[in-house]
Amino acid sequence: MNNFASYNWLKEYCKTTLSPEDFSSEISLRSMSVEKVDHVSERFAHIIVGLVNEVRPHPNADKLRIATVSMGSAAVEIVCGGTNLVEGMKVALALPGSTVIGHDGQRVTLAVNTIRGVESPGMLCGPDELGFGALKKGAHEIWDLGAVTDAKAGTPLAEALGIDDVMFDVEITTNRPDAMGIVGLAREAGAACGAPFAWQPPIFPVAANDIPFTVAIEDASRCLRQMAVVIDGVTVAPSPWWLQARLLLAGLRPINNIVDITNYVMLEYAQPLHAFDYKKLDGAEIRVRQGRAGEKLVALNGKEYDVEGVLVLADAVKPLDIAGIMGGEHTGTTSETTTVVLSASAFDHVALRRTSRALHLQSDAQLLFEKGLSTEAPPFALARAVELIAKIAGGRVASPVCDERVSPYVPIVLTCNPQKIRERIGIDISDVRILEILTQLGFAVDQLHGAWSVIVPWWRDHDIEDAIDLSEEVARIYGYHELPAILPSGVPPTTPEDATLVWERWCKRFFAGAGYDEFFSNSFVSADDLARYGEDAAQSYALLNPLASDLSHMRMSLMPSILRAVESNQGHIASAKFFELSRVYIPHGNDMPEERMQLVLGEYGHDDVEKAFMRTRGVLDVFAARTGLSLTLLRDETDARWHPSRTAKIMHGEVCVGRIGEIAFATQIAFGINRRVMVLALDLETLFSSMHLTHRYVPVSEFPSVVRDLSIILDERATFDDIVRCAKNDIVASAALVDVYRGAGVPEGKKSMTVSFTMQVERTLTSEEADTALAVISEKLVSELSGILRS
Amino acid sequence: MKDELEKLVVDLTAALSSVHDTAALEVVRVEYVGRKGRLAELMKGLAALSVDEKKVIGQIANSVKARVEAEFARVEKMIADADVKARMTREWLDVTLPGAAPSVGHLHLVSQAIEDITDIFRRLGFVRARHPEIDGDYYAFEALNMPKDHPARDEWETFFIRDSHSAEVMQGQKGKMVLTPHTSNGQVREMEKGVLPIRMISIGKCYRRQSTARHSPMFHQFEGLVIDKKSSVTELKGVCEYFAKSYFGADRTTRLRPYHFRFTEPSFELDISCGICKGVGSVGGVKCKLCKEGWLELGGAGMVHPNVIKAGGLDPDVYAGFAFGWGVERTMMMRAGVNIDDIRILYRNDLRFIRQF
Repeated sequence: MNNFASYNWLKEYCKTTLSPEDFSSEISLRSMSVEKVDHVSERFAHIIVGLVNEVRPHPNADKLRIATVSMGSAAVEIVCGGTNLVEGMKVALALPGSTVIGHDGQRVTLAVNTIRGVESPGMLCGPDELGFGALKKGAHEIWDLGAVTDAKAGTPLAEALGIDDVMFDVEITTNRPDAMGIVGLAREAGAACGAPFAWQPPIFPVAANDIPFTVAIEDASRCLRQMAVVIDGVTVAPSPWWLQARLLLAGLRPINNIVDITNYVMLEYAQPLHAFDYKKLDGAEIRVRQGRAGEKLVALNGKEYDVEGVLVLADAVKPLDIAGIMGGEHTGTTSETTTVVLSASAFDHVALRRTSRALHLQSDAQLLFEKGLSTEAPPFALARAVELIAKIAGGRVASPVCDERVSPYVPIVLTCNPQKIRERIGIDISDVRILEILTQLGFAVDQLHGAWSVIVPWWRDHDIEDAIDLSEEVARIYGYHELPAILPSGVPPTTPEDATLVWERWCKRFFAGAGYDEFFSNSFVSADDLARYGEDAAQSYALLNPLASDLSHMRMSLMPSILRAVESNQGHIASAKFFELSRVYIPHGNDMPEERMQLVLGEYGHDDVEKAFMRTRGVLDVFAARTGLSLTLLRDETDARWHPSRTAKIMHGEVCVGRIGEIAFATQIAFGINRRVMVLALDLETLFSSMHLTHRYVPVSEFPSVVRDLSIILDERATFDDIVRCAKNDIVASAALVDVYRGAGVPEGKKSMTVSFTMQVERTLTSEEADTALAVISEKLVSELSGILRS
Repeated sequence: MKDELEKLVVDLTAALSSVHDTAALEVVRVEYVGRKGRLAELMKGLAALSVDEKKVIGQIANSVKARVEAEFARVEKMIADADVKARMTREWLDVTLPGAAPSVGHLHLVSQAIEDITDIFRRLGFVRARHPEIDGDYYAFEALNMPKDHPARDEWETFFIRDSHSAEVMQGQKGKMVLTPHTSNGQVREMEKGVLPIRMISIGKCYRRQSTARHSPMFHQFEGLVIDKKSSVTELKGVCEYFAKSYFGADRTTRLRPYHFRFTEPSFELDISCGICKGVGSVGGVKCKLCKEGWLELGGAGMVHPNVIKAGGLDPDVYAGFAFGWGVERTMMMRAGVNIDDIRILYRNDLRFIRQF
């Protein structure tokens, strides 16, 4: 909640002499944050009061005229389109260098302009051009200042309008609706700046009996207090300018003096009030009750609400007002009103909040009420309003001051130990200072032996719940910025870090180091993308209130996000290597979801599928070797989302922990991807517990190894694994693929594979032994795989 | 004979002066020191001399032999040096060839920020913990001193999981399933583990129903939690300041400002001095565009509310502590120089973006 608070208004109650900037800094550091300091006079710099001496036609335009405007000592000729322009009018004259608000709502800085051939060193403004669009004026009318100021021509506008003020945009935390009022904020400011708080409670109206009136609470769970008083003999008219100006600066629209006063008191006391036209009420009473079946109410926003079951203020016959949220359109004050009923209430804030949500109806009053206002606020606000109405609209109290409440008020009394406050803050602050701070904020402290008895002031009866809360009051007014900063004195824990997080970090570094760029997708996916990847949206977590339809489900696999990412990148980057390591969300029966860390790594846009596969598998192999995992691949054709002839399951022992291969053509098409995608998907969550970085040392051989290469033409479907199987031999330590070749010299449907065998035994191997071993392998390849040796 | 020997040296020097390659050198070598060369021929004459003469001439002959050898060595080296030089000149390389970059992937900016943040807190003895992203609203709200229907819940634009998976499934103490709108659900979960003292740093994904240049519906927070027998605002301030100076630079200052959160008491917001205007609020007389009056909001913090400590199964009369929860992206974007103006680009998976970092 933000409070646009006038410094002049605050200073009526907080006797401070600080500059606006110092004041803002003090309350930001000790109370509420000031987000902006706005010097109103700066807004109106180079705008002055002008007096229209003469008006004559524009030579080149029918709708424009030329006014000679006196600035006091001198006069200027201004081109003006104002339809209401007359000689003798007092106007707001904006000179070059001033800023006004254009028709598009943007601020523009004026320069000397030539309009249809006539130079105009400034402009005459309408209220909207000065930021007072809330003042209703006809279109193309300039603001006649005669009604609002006696200032002479040449007076700066801010001074003339009495708004040479500073507005603070203060962020009020939701627990402190009391500080939404000027009085509450001034009390805070007094404590924060060490300035006297000079508010006096308004004089409570003296009851009369000329007009009988009663109030009754029928729903004691939702309405906690209802007050009303009738004021007779009022003259409804526009408010005096000073009052209008305060509302305008706070962002409210002046309506008439009665409504304006209720709004003014709300701004000042943070307690909403409502004024009814007495003559429009049936029966001299307000009943706070549930709306009955079929009852409807047209609210001030012009919309009709079905109020059955909704808490309303009603007269003897009909609902008048949606309690605490919005008044009715037909029972408010108008220029004909002479007798008003002023109403002030306290409601249960939780119930009120539910009603507001159910009706989708919000208002300034409701936003205050739902934060929790005290039952003790209404009489003060009511008295203040009565005082102002008597002064401004000329009425007098004509009824008893009606006051019904559901239970007597019991102030909150806390037991507070000043030593505990010191410990929690961590500094040695004296009892005297603590006492001083609490007193400034309105707490009444009764010092007993050691423990203090603290009475919470009524305006804090919703946010101060416990003695612990008092430590905050003391610490903030003392000033957090005044506290020393020290590092924790305790012993650091020896608990190990969460292993999965340590691995997550290691793995990300590893895969990025291997040349793969990291994707970081939203956890949300659309139901459509789930379907495109052949997943059942009903199986995954769906959001009750998604932001958009493409952010509707929590992903169960990284694949839809990855494929979406490939699709969005393919237009800019023809081929790329990528990975993502992130959690996926698996519903888990009647328990908490399983959040599993998954890896997808791969590449798109490759033109050699064998090489792409080998690169991807290479990462997997090196990863497994580095982390001590023993993974094997098992050809698999069962998952239609993956290419049936180019996919293998990744096995960890007997457990399938992932899949490696190319994405099926159909899947690719479904995502609009026009390139091949080779990926490996790995359920790291399962593997983390088997992973380790400690490697056991194996002594290196003292004897040289011998390498022999062999090229052989094989059937297309013969595998590298077949060759390795044939090469199983006592002296062959490893076999490496050098090259696969198809083309000239190799028959159609065949391929030539060149394999390099490393032979190693724990003695010196002779060349003859190596040749013999190679011959044995060759023979096996020929006989078992029908291979043809190439010379 | 002496003269002849001297002449041989003079002749040899003359002959070698025109030698520039190995082949020519060999010709001269054969002529002078070959088996039938001039030196050998002269030495044959040695036999005919008297013993005394032999003594004298023999010495001279030895000296001549040494000089001859040195002469050949000199020329050999000269030729070799010239050869090497010529080869070096031949082996010309175009050193303006462009580099062939090694294949190095890019760690996502957010992963990098998480590493940086983790490392700073690790130095203070904080231990990283992992907590759920989808959790019961008990942990996200109730345990954090926000009972049902409390208006404070509205401050978090929370995503809820649809009932088919939530209502009956999550009945009991954990409540309705939500996407955690903050990492603070980890506070009570960490306390429930019962291992004390606690110095936890939990960095995880959070979700809120907001999508603007400053808000991504998915974002990250880092949650710090300290629970010990003795704990105070001054220590919280110390940790915050240590982090801010380590992450943003020693020249930056921090301040705590009062704020309100239901789960901490007292509650603060931590501001850090603006890196653009150096905390002054204006640059060259013009209001700083980045900050508010010289300060940037880093995030919330506070002393853990006794009700939260109770919810964690601990006795608030014995244990106290503090907590803070700040946005990773926001913190990272506030670091001078990153210059990202829309947070949502982080999660669009645009390789042209990812590859810049």
